[in-house]
Amino acid sequence: MQPVVQIENLTKEFKGKRAVDDVSFTVQRGEIVAILGPNGAGKSTTMLMMLGLLKPTAGIAKLFQEEPQSRAVHERIGVMLQQVSLMDALKVKELLALFQAYYPKPLSLETLVKLTGMTNGELDKRTEKLSGGQKRRVGFALALAGDPDLLFFDEPTVGMDSTARKQFWLTVKELAEQGKTILFSTHYLQEADDIATRIILFNEGKVIADGSPIEIKRNLLRQSISFKLNETIEKAYLMNMKDVLAVVEDKGRLKLMTENPDSVLRKLFELDLRLEDIAIEKGRLEDAFEQLTVEQEVS
Amino acid sequence: MGMLLRECKIEVIRIFRNPYFIFWSLLMPIIFYVIFTKVVNTGMENQALWNAIFLMSIAAFSVMGSAIMTLGIRMVQEKSEGWTTLLRVTPLPASSYFIAKMIGQSAVHVFSIIIIFFAGFLINGVTMPFGEWLLCGLWILLGSAPFLAMGLLVGTMKKVDTASGVSNIFYLLLAITGGLWMPMEILPKLIQTIGMWLPAFHYGNGAWAIVQGESPELKNVLILGMYLILFMILSIYIRRKQEVV
Repeated sequence: MQPVVQIENLTKEFKGKRAVDDVSFTVQRGEIVAILGPNGAGKSTTMLMMLGLLKPTAGIAKLFQEEPQSRAVHERIGVMLQQVSLMDALKVKELLALFQAYYPKPLSLETLVKLTGMTNGELDKRTEKLSGGQKRRVGFALALAGDPDLLFFDEPTVGMDSTARKQFWLTVKELAEQGKTILFSTHYLQEADDIATRIILFNEGKVIADGSPIEIKRNLLRQSISFKLNETIEKAYLMNMKDVLAVVEDKGRLKLMTENPDSVLRKLFELDLRLEDIAIEKGRLEDAFEQLTVEQEVS
Repeated sequence: MGMLLRECKIEVIRIFRNPYFIFWSLLMPIIFYVIFTKVVNTGMENQALWNAIFLMSIAAFSVMGSAIMTLGIRMVQEKSEGWTTLLRVTPLPASSYFIAKMIGQSAVHVFSIIIIFFAGFLINGVTMPFGEWLLCGLWILLGSAPFLAMGLLVGTMKKVDTASGVSNIFYLLLAITGGLWMPMEILPKLIQTIGMWLPAFHYGNGAWAIVQGESPELKNVLILGMYLILFMILSIYIRRKQEVV
């Protein structure tokens, strides 16, 4: 199957600093992809390049095997960018009608209202009189106006209250069931975990993990215990211990991979082995993960 | 085509809903007109002719202002708020955005011209053959092209504050040095000389000629055309440079 999104060696430098560093991935039809990472990880920059709004320093970004700037692509995508205020002096329904006219096969106003949960009162309001959350909802409706096959949401739930969030993600799931492809960026691990079928984890401009939420979480939690051992022991024996996922031998050290270092350590001591120079290491995703959790606590 | 028409219509609706537009483009010029024809004694020999001529000045002043400011500042505002970026990922061609803005603005100018002409008739009983009214209106409408282009140029600025400050200054300087507030003849010689090379004088002068039963000079058309081309090239050049990021 041809990928809907295709990104190869995408790189963006701002004044010599690499905001996005050699990123490659493809997205297939029907996937819900979360681009997850702390602030400044390069999520938005990557998204802007995918949309053709920012010129890559190197690499290519293609949507539906075409240049993202082409009109054919624009007719098939819907976009919700961060911090876009709406055209003022217009009623919501006038703005929606304007957007519907841009596309060959737009969704009807009733469908848009149903999908986004807007009220009739909101439709008659001027855009400048809306609250932040209401504006986001109109932005969502604008993204859906053309009945797009591919949707981009850049930090979509910032500024939404919990009810609005719930409604938003419910609709997103419904859209995915209809075969639409969805890409969203977020710095909430929880959101990515709940909604996405796939998480692409960004840190410092690079993709550091790419997989289903279950795989990602397993990677995040995986830790290792390493030590020197002054006697020989069958690797298979360690391998069969409870909670040990893998055993690696490296430069005279044995390394046990585990999600539960405490219990493995206890076992090792019970065996009364002559362990030396014990070290416990966190998974390589841990740094990014910590930043994510810290931010969640703050916000 | 339908898309463009709808886009123009939306622009017109938005301008009319803007209270500043009504105030600056209609109310202010009309108040000005009353002051300089009714309140202040200008000592003109032919008061009726002065009333008609000054009516043209004030109509030109109104349209020029809304072309530079309403258009320019609105574009800066839409750009700084991210709206223009969102439009770039919709199927709306980029050119439609600019064309619709200029056509919509011109449609509103037709309305302004009619209101101001009518005010002249009501306040001072200004009359002239219908053909002359029409020609004056057309001149003011079409002659505003270089100012619309100047609006596009203002529209390339990054901040709303800068755009509104800069365009305000240029607008007022142009209006004064172009003889739109008071006749060119009573301005200092130096300003007259400079003003002769700026677009506002030629814009007003075309309409003043029509009121006096003459036709606009070729020089008026040429200079306005030159400024139109200059501003267009500048704004296209700056926009190209800004797009490559």
